[in-house]
Amino acid sequence: MAGVVGGEEELEEFYVRYYVGHKGKFGHEFLEFEFRSNGMLRYANNSNYKNDTMIRKEVYVTPAVLKECRRIILESEILKEDDNQWPEPDRVGRQELEIVMGNEHISFTTSKIGSLVDVQSSNDPEGLRIFYYLVQDLKCFVFSLISLHFKIKPI
Amino acid sequence: MASAAEVEAVDFEPEDDDLMDEDGGIADAALDASASPRAPLHQQQQPKLKSAITGGASSSASAAAAAAAAAAARKTKGRGFRDDHHPESADRSSRLANSNFDSLKSGDGPGPQRSVEGWIILVTGVHEEAQEDDLQNSFGEFGEIKNLHLNLDRRTGFVKGYALIEYENFEEAQNAISSMNGAELLTQIITVDWAFSSGSSANGTMKRKNTRPPRERRSRSPRRRY
Repeated sequence: MAGVVGGEEELEEFYVRYYVGHKGKFGHEFLEFEFRSNGMLRYANNSNYKNDTMIRKEVYVTPAVLKECRRIILESEILKEDDNQWPEPDRVGRQELEIVMGNEHISFTTSKIGSLVDVQSSNDPEGLRIFYYLVQDLKCFVFSLISLHFKIKPI
Repeated sequence: MASAAEVEAVDFEPEDDDLMDEDGGIADAALDASASPRAPLHQQQQPKLKSAITGGASSSASAAAAAAAAAAARKTKGRGFRDDHHPESADRSSRLANSNFDSLKSGDGPGPQRSVEGWIILVTGVHEEAQEDDLQNSFGEFGEIKNLHLNLDRRTGFVKGYALIEYENFEEAQNAISSMNGAELLTQIITVDWAFSSGSSANGTMKRKNTRPPRERRSRSPRRRY
């Protein structure tokens, strides 16, 4: 979509961001990561619990990694879903998933999902289940990348 | 409890202005236009990043124009687009702004990036029933595998389709890539490539041939074996 950049490799439009967090007695605790089409992967994890400081990491991943990320998203078919029936974010927490791929741009929000029970009891169990598993698969991918690269435990 | 949350919300409210985010700077805005019109992570103007970002500014400006045009035609969906008044989204632009993200900088042109303890490669197209042993067997011959992540699909419990493998030395990883990329593993053709890059892929593509990093940064001081 973005065409040829600098006369070189074609960078297809791609952006992914996931956020989960809440505000409580330990301040604004959250985890967030994003992939950009130029390969930048950013990861932030903040908790004030026991005076923890925020973890912020960034690294460029190769097009191969972006491609795998894209595959995971495409195969989930999340782009066909809609968040209008999902539980609204509340005081317990908030999740956001934003994806730009080609000419599609989704920005979904919902509450935290404790388990599949929450998914089943929602108004859109099929859609929310897709979200629920995709988020786990993406987190798993990112945690592996970050922990291998920086040798930290992301959570 | 509830009132406390509301007060907090009010505190964050004034910062919630996506339009202001766009004023971040030309290079920044350019990248963001191609990423997301409302990306919160983008406001960081920290020096560390700047070189990487502004380095490709001239080329990304035209790309951004194209991206902006593409963005105009983009289909949008989701409550995230109308949630900007929401208290929790208010500090979105600030929570990751104005502070440095740690990174392992190399300063070289685009090429594979060394990780803290070694070199990481990505294997994709991995059979869903692959076991760690299968990868250990085929990739162990290029060097000792320091780490292997074979993540599972959370829904099915089968292998998700990729593996991340860490070698201590550049040569081991490079050999694994050259030998195994396109090879067959459990009836499936796998792809093997570096996982990390030393720079933005917008500033030039990864060039496989020139990937060998300068000697002095190739590894830490050699480990004494005897």
